[in-house]
Amino acid sequence: MGKVIVVTSGKGGVGKTTSAANLGTALALLGKSVVLVDADVGLRNLDIVMGLESRVVYTSMDVIEKECELNKALVRDRRVNGLMLLAASQKNNKDDMQPEHMKAICDNLRTTYDFILVDSPAGIERGFRNASAGADEAIVVTTPDVSAIRDADRIIGLLQNAEIEPINLVINRFSPQLVGNGSMMDQADVLDILNIDLIGVVPEDSGVITSTNRGIPLVYEDGSPGAQAYMRIARRLTGQRIPIPDLEQKGLFSSLLNWFTKNR
Amino acid sequence: MVPNSTMVNSTVVLRAYKDGLHLIIKPHLSIAEVEVAIQQEISRMNRSLAGATVQIDLKSPTLNDEEIDYLRSKLRENYDLIVRGVDLGDDSASPPIAAAPTTHTISQRADVPSTREGEPSRVVPYTIRSGQIEEFPQGSLIIYGDVNSGGEVRAGGDIVVLGTLRGSARAGTNGRLSAVIIAMDFAPLQLQIGNCVNRSTANQESRGYPEIARIGEENVIIIEKFVKF
Ligand SMILES: Nc1ncnc2c1ncn2[C@@H]1O[C@H](COP(=O)(O)OP(=O)(O)O)[C@@H](O)[C@H]1O
Ligand SMILES: [Mg+2]
Repeated sequence: MGKVIVVTSGKGGVGKTTSAANLGTALALLGKSVVLVDADVGLRNLDIVMGLESRVVYTSMDVIEKECELNKALVRDRRVNGLMLLAASQKNNKDDMQPEHMKAICDNLRTTYDFILVDSPAGIERGFRNASAGADEAIVVTTPDVSAIRDADRIIGLLQNAEIEPINLVINRFSPQLVGNGSMMDQADVLDILNIDLIGVVPEDSGVITSTNRGIPLVYEDGSPGAQAYMRIARRLTGQRIPIPDLEQKGLFSSLLNWFTKNR
Repeated sequence: MVPNSTMVNSTVVLRAYKDGLHLIIKPHLSIAEVEVAIQQEISRMNRSLAGATVQIDLKSPTLNDEEIDYLRSKLRENYDLIVRGVDLGDDSASPPIAAAPTTHTISQRADVPSTREGEPSRVVPYTIRSGQIEEFPQGSLIIYGDVNSGGEVRAGGDIVVLGTLRGSARAGTNGRLSAVIIAMDFAPLQLQIGNCVNRSTANQESRGYPEIARIGEENVIIIEKFVKF
């Protein structure tokens, strides 16, 4: 029996789609069978981030309307074994889908695949309810800023009401430099407010943008800090215990800073 | 709860007590260090103090008269703060940290309970998150968690938050004006007790110790260090 994990955030643009694409690919690279489900009906961009847009024939809407079998609607990613995508319809809008539809799709996929990652649209309304309807667990993505954290907090409350558990936190676009000079919240501040388990911290990485444009998930670029962060999160999702490295570089950065201020 | 490091290490601390603002200056500092620390502490407040009066509390007589005069003029020039007195700290007169709560003389409607005696209370064993409202009109609320920004708690009587209060709290909605709001970490977005809403008490930063809000003289909500009930 596989796990259905909804990737959600409340606020848009914080990295849900990026995280879903990279974690799905990373899990497949670790040998797991994975389906990425785009629940952003009407916007659809997970297929683009995955570079699979030209191969999408059917969408989840076609499955719901019984135009095609679920298996036939899955697009196979040819770069790695065991990775599939279920695209969202662009023609339809969120109200054409019901939570029951998504639940039925997830229940079906759960019997065959190890991980089903559902990429949620922004907001707390219909799109979120659809995306989370079939979920066993959740990954909440936030950036370390007040408005994203407040929306994440809101979503966590709704997930808890829906008894979706565990809820794991990914802090995305983290910048040690900005934390160092006091213009970004640090990990401890974020966790103090949200009070859920941290599963990983993804640094700000310019490679994300180029990889998005090329349709090749960042995790294929072994050396990049973002790729390494996503690989570690994927390992944690498979149950491996890997410590979360201290990206804040307290050792190096602030000791240098201290040295400079002291020796002037 | 992560202590605010700027506060723990502060050499100069600005605090609001019942008798007004106090600027507490630790011993063994040069006047230059004091000046920098004051600037940091005041900018940390995030709100204008223009026109307020302040008492300077020296922990020991470190600064001489000339330096104190210099500070006095700097505080006025740079922050529009008026020094109302200086405690040289060389006698036993301690700053009024634990000022005992005084009784209030605000008239109360006759049909409204004047004490918390007999009032029921409800325990909430979780954090109130953004968008959530926890309400208990019959009596007091005790939150075993935080009240996050965007969350709200409303109680007929008192509100006790055994965590950080970042959101909104309305106590005394049953009209009891002796209702209080207590939080282990006090950084609310909005406070209300009875009909008293006080803009200036909102948006304060956590000071890293428990605080209590209640109605003081002239129907103004005051916040002070919570020592005991
Ligand atoms: N770690 C990161 N470093 C740099 N840019 C990022 C990072 N994560 C996301 N982005 C960029 O932020 C934008 C929004 O990301 P996306 O995953 O589409 O967010 P969402 O799905 O939550 O709306 C994209 O342009 C993406 O390339
Ligand atoms: Mg998206």
